[in-house]
Amino acid sequence: MSRVGDGTALTAVGLGKRYRRRRGHVLRDCSFRLPTGRICALVGPNGAGKSTLLQLAAGLIRPTEGTLTVLGTSPAAARERFAYVAQGKPLPLQLTVAATLRLGAELNRARWDQPAAERIAYGHPTEQGARDGALEPTARIRSLSGGQRTRVALALAFGKRPELMLLDEPMADLDPLARRELLGALLGEAAEHGTTIVMSSHVVAELEGVCDHLLLMGGGRIRLGGDPEELLAAHTLVTGPARDLTGHTVVESRDTGRQLTALIRPGGPPSDDWQTAAPTLEELLLAHLRNPKAPDLFTEDTEAGEEKSGSEAEGTKEAEETGKPGETGEDQENEENARA
Amino acid sequence: MTTLLTSTGTSSSASPAVGRGLALSVLRLHRSALWLWLLLVVVLSAAMLWAYGPGYDAADTDLQERCRKSVETCHFPDGPAFIRYDRAVSYSTLAVTCFPFLVAVWAGAALIARELETGTAHLAWTQSVSPTRWLAAKLAVPALLITAGTAVLVPLHRLVWDQDAWLRSMDWYDRSIYPSSGTLPLAYALCGLALGALAGLVVGRALPALGVAFAALLAVYYLGNEYRLSLWPTVTVTGAKALNLPDDALQLDRGVITDEGTRIANNLACADADGVAGLRRCLADSGLDEIWATYHPRYHYWPLQLAETGVVLAVAALAVTAAFVLLRRRTATEGVAV
Repeated sequence: MSRVGDGTALTAVGLGKRYRRRRGHVLRDCSFRLPTGRICALVGPNGAGKSTLLQLAAGLIRPTEGTLTVLGTSPAAARERFAYVAQGKPLPLQLTVAATLRLGAELNRARWDQPAAERIAYGHPTEQGARDGALEPTARIRSLSGGQRTRVALALAFGKRPELMLLDEPMADLDPLARRELLGALLGEAAEHGTTIVMSSHVVAELEGVCDHLLLMGGGRIRLGGDPEELLAAHTLVTGPARDLTGHTVVESRDTGRQLTALIRPGGPPSDDWQTAAPTLEELLLAHLRNPKAPDLFTEDTEAGEEKSGSEAEGTKEAEETGKPGETGEDQENEENARA
Repeated sequence: MTTLLTSTGTSSSASPAVGRGLALSVLRLHRSALWLWLLLVVVLSAAMLWAYGPGYDAADTDLQERCRKSVETCHFPDGPAFIRYDRAVSYSTLAVTCFPFLVAVWAGAALIARELETGTAHLAWTQSVSPTRWLAAKLAVPALLITAGTAVLVPLHRLVWDQDAWLRSMDWYDRSIYPSSGTLPLAYALCGLALGALAGLVVGRALPALGVAFAALLAVYYLGNEYRLSLWPTVTVTGAKALNLPDDALQLDRGVITDEGTRIANNLACADADGVAGLRRCLADSGLDEIWATYHPRYHYWPLQLAETGVVLAVAALAVTAAFVLLRRRTATEGVAV
């Protein structure tokens, strides 16, 4: 099962979601492609549609328009191969931690990895014994703190040995130590098994330096997509005397009278009297969020459904009966539509 | 439900294993309900067995003794032994009658709605279990347990009531016994489960779902009460036969036909006539042609029971279908992503 970079974990084409007919779109015309094996940060302000996008990918709700392909097939057909941790970390309150893991085993008979789940839930005992806040197998979920529940929810995700992890705000209520530990576990999982990880967050710094793919959500669509390094390289922060910026794509400019500060995507070499600097990731994201009119940018090919890939062939196998290997995700999707 | 189960079994490799795991998970999540149900069955069975054996014997001996002492007590049974016996029988009957409502309320609130409310349903749906299989398991496992429990309680209840005939003459059609005997308790319990599940899915919040489920079953129950006697054709007799209906028949109506051929219902003219000759004389005196009576004989018990059971189960089937349709429309259950 080698899925090194050539497959597609998530593909969205013109994805839209409205919860009520009269309300506006939460997602609108959302298109992007996420290759497999990436650790992807899904960032955006509150209410940008991050959770909705992840719920759509997890097959919990249906899109109003557009298509979303997960691991080369529909979310429903890929159900066994991805794990999803919801923002609220819902768990049956009446169960103990051990019983929750048994529940995971029962609901994932085909692919449950108990040691992997226990490693996450109970952590590695250190020489000084268990660290503060370590989980007891006999503790009831009801009695756990928010962070401890996150740990159990993530343990369920790890126990499933998924090819794709969809994690909605996984780090929000973890203490720094646990955050470090679990990020380490996630990175280890990704490195060892080539697992694709999608983590949403509204705190950019939380994920900086960890992710090798970035999706910025704003206004119900993906505004920026690609490798953070490349995204940063594509932008320049310039300061200098106010002047014409034609020829460059201006993401955001601030005119303080004499001085102009702007984040641009250079269309050519900048003038000499400008000071240029590389923006930080946070500056880049904030600039895009402050200026919704800035054009979207994808540093990688985002055209969906054109590739034939190993992962999609795998997807066909596991989705059975749809059969013929080598079909594109789109074809498969259509066929399944016809079946339903 | 089984057809839905098999038709939605799209998972690839380990279907039976997943099914068993899923059933186990339902039991694990609703362990307290399972224990409560077992406790209820055990306590009720014990109460009814006691009433059937020692309770009845004690009341019977005591009453016969009292009857010998004073004639009055023969007709108005009383005494501590009888009261104990009476309580056991009444409360267990009440429990068997109300139990479908308990199922409906539980299914609406705890089985489905609370899981949707807290998001643990979504947790299950993102394991290797599709929402339709989840719902199928949520319905099948309790249905099985309810059936098993009812299969113990209802015959026991019947046993107690058959023996009870001497102590207080209760007819087969009496409202306090009819819905808690035969196949009806099971039908109403399963209907309660289905309606509860549907209410849970529609409402999505535990407390309102509880109310809606109760109201829905109450409506079905009320309609059943109202129309159950029209579910099987009645027997109509005329002439002398209408004077002497069988002892255990449920008389529904009685009336006369005038000389002009008009049929008058709900009329007791000549109903107390003595014998065939008396009847003819009375009819001639009153300018009537014939008297008639409609009734359900005792042997209509099973046809009536089964007809009502069928109707109630049909309601349950409708509710289950609606629940599945609703769930499939909401979530990406099949390969549809549009």
